[in-house]
Amino acid sequence: MASLDPRVNRLPAIAESVSPKAPLDQFGTFEVFVQPKEGKPFQHEGIVHAPNLEMAYVLAKEAFTRRFTCTTLYVVDTREVFASPMTEGEKNSYDFIEDVPAEGGAKVSFEIYHLTKRGKQHMHVGSVKAGSPREAMVLAKVKFNTSKVVYNVWAIESDKIRFTSEEEKELWLTLPEKKFRDASDYKGGDKLKDFLERQN
Amino acid sequence: MYGGGNTFEGIKTDSIALEDPIKLAEFEARIARGEKIEPSDWMPQLYRKQLIRMIEQHAHSEIIGALPEGTWITRAPGFKRKMSLMAKVQDEVGHGQLLYSAAETLGKPREQMIEDLINGKSKYSNIFNYPTFTWADCCFISWLVDAGAIVNQLANAKGSYGPYCRALDRICAEESFHLKYGHHCVIYLASGTAKQRQMFQEALNRWWPPMMHFFGPSDKISAHTEVLMRWKVKMGTNDDMRNQFLDMYVPKIWELGFTIPDPNLKKNPETGRWDYTEPDWEEFKRVINGDGPCNKERLEVRRIAEERGRWVREALKTSKTAYVTPLA
Repeated sequence: MASLDPRVNRLPAIAESVSPKAPLDQFGTFEVFVQPKEGKPFQHEGIVHAPNLEMAYVLAKEAFTRRFTCTTLYVVDTREVFASPMTEGEKNSYDFIEDVPAEGGAKVSFEIYHLTKRGKQHMHVGSVKAGSPREAMVLAKVKFNTSKVVYNVWAIESDKIRFTSEEEKELWLTLPEKKFRDASDYKGGDKLKDFLERQN
Repeated sequence: MYGGGNTFEGIKTDSIALEDPIKLAEFEARIARGEKIEPSDWMPQLYRKQLIRMIEQHAHSEIIGALPEGTWITRAPGFKRKMSLMAKVQDEVGHGQLLYSAAETLGKPREQMIEDLINGKSKYSNIFNYPTFTWADCCFISWLVDAGAIVNQLANAKGSYGPYCRALDRICAEESFHLKYGHHCVIYLASGTAKQRQMFQEALNRWWPPMMHFFGPSDKISAHTEVLMRWKVKMGTNDDMRNQFLDMYVPKIWELGFTIPDPNLKKNPETGRWDYTEPDWEEFKRVINGDGPCNKERLEVRRIAEERGRWVREALKTSKTAYVTPLA
């Protein structure tokens, strides 16, 4: 293949077509949450596909926090997210969560997230201790359900989340220094003005 | 970077008639109120199908669009330009990732989308099937192709599908650097030596016809999109988007003293819109059907990357994780 791109010209030849893949032969799905500033709640940013939680963390850092300043992020397997029904208008999703008797046995921590505006992201509102995701939703209803309509609730067991350690927070310290990724680093006004004056 | 307008199939209204009329009315009322549709909401099959098609093509355009610019990273003039271009190309690939995720929420797995791309089943923006002969071609893309993409993306960010709008909000925020960087590069060429000016003028001459194609066929000949506009899948007609681009960027190109290779290009004071020579839509069709200068090379590069990365994916594969549809 003759190309203008020297890198393309160096590529090895391969068979004409890629052999068919097995159906859905792809990595797992992980949800990504980012904290934009210290003290601000974590917000859902999107997903990455990865072979494990650690790789998901690394890929999430590149995909979601390489551009804008933030303090930290965490990731969790999508299968660990328990979601309430999605509602609209004046219907509160919490109204569709039926009370269940408190469960015995060990209680673990669950992180709770709200969607308060359709079209926007889920935001972290706090945590509860419960014996199951369902019980966590019921407890969240008592603890976090205020007068504001909540369209969707997520509950995630805290132990399933790959959090950022204190030392790892250094990963984001150099973000403000990378000015070459900012529009503000490309001021061409003076050069343009000089050029236009020379033309006149 | 993405040009809209070339992506929609002709709509069979029969498919809408088969939908539950009550659910359809609720769906349309929700959109009319300005509310977003989320993945778990009921939606007509046609809405789902056209959104998958549009978002998937947008994602492919980001991935393929990284190739004509990426080729200039090693030859960019100076360390700062190399760093900027690398960051820009990384952004474009990142945008592809965000968009594939949004399309996945509608039920099409990412691997299937990638397979459809490398097997030539899916389309992407025509403009990336043209070669970047010189650094000035690369600067044209960074400034003006990105500008055209921003016109489309800002409009689509006001659309009705939540995950696509969220991805576009993020993409548009990142694109502001691309646009300023591209303009910066062109200002330097414009105010440089006679050879540099000539280089950009030649790039402009080469890229203007594909740039006019970028917004898709004229409204006179493009598929009927009334339903898609009502559902806020498509937020403006192809001619509206083209006109908006011309309004914003023709004066900036002229300001730099360059000539646009279209003797008929002028703003019509009566209509308030731009008159221009009708683009060659036969060439547009040829290129989108695989007969452009670089179609074969672009897909071959993706195909080789897929094949060469296979052993890495195989080595990392584990039964502990599983692909599932993203939530939002």
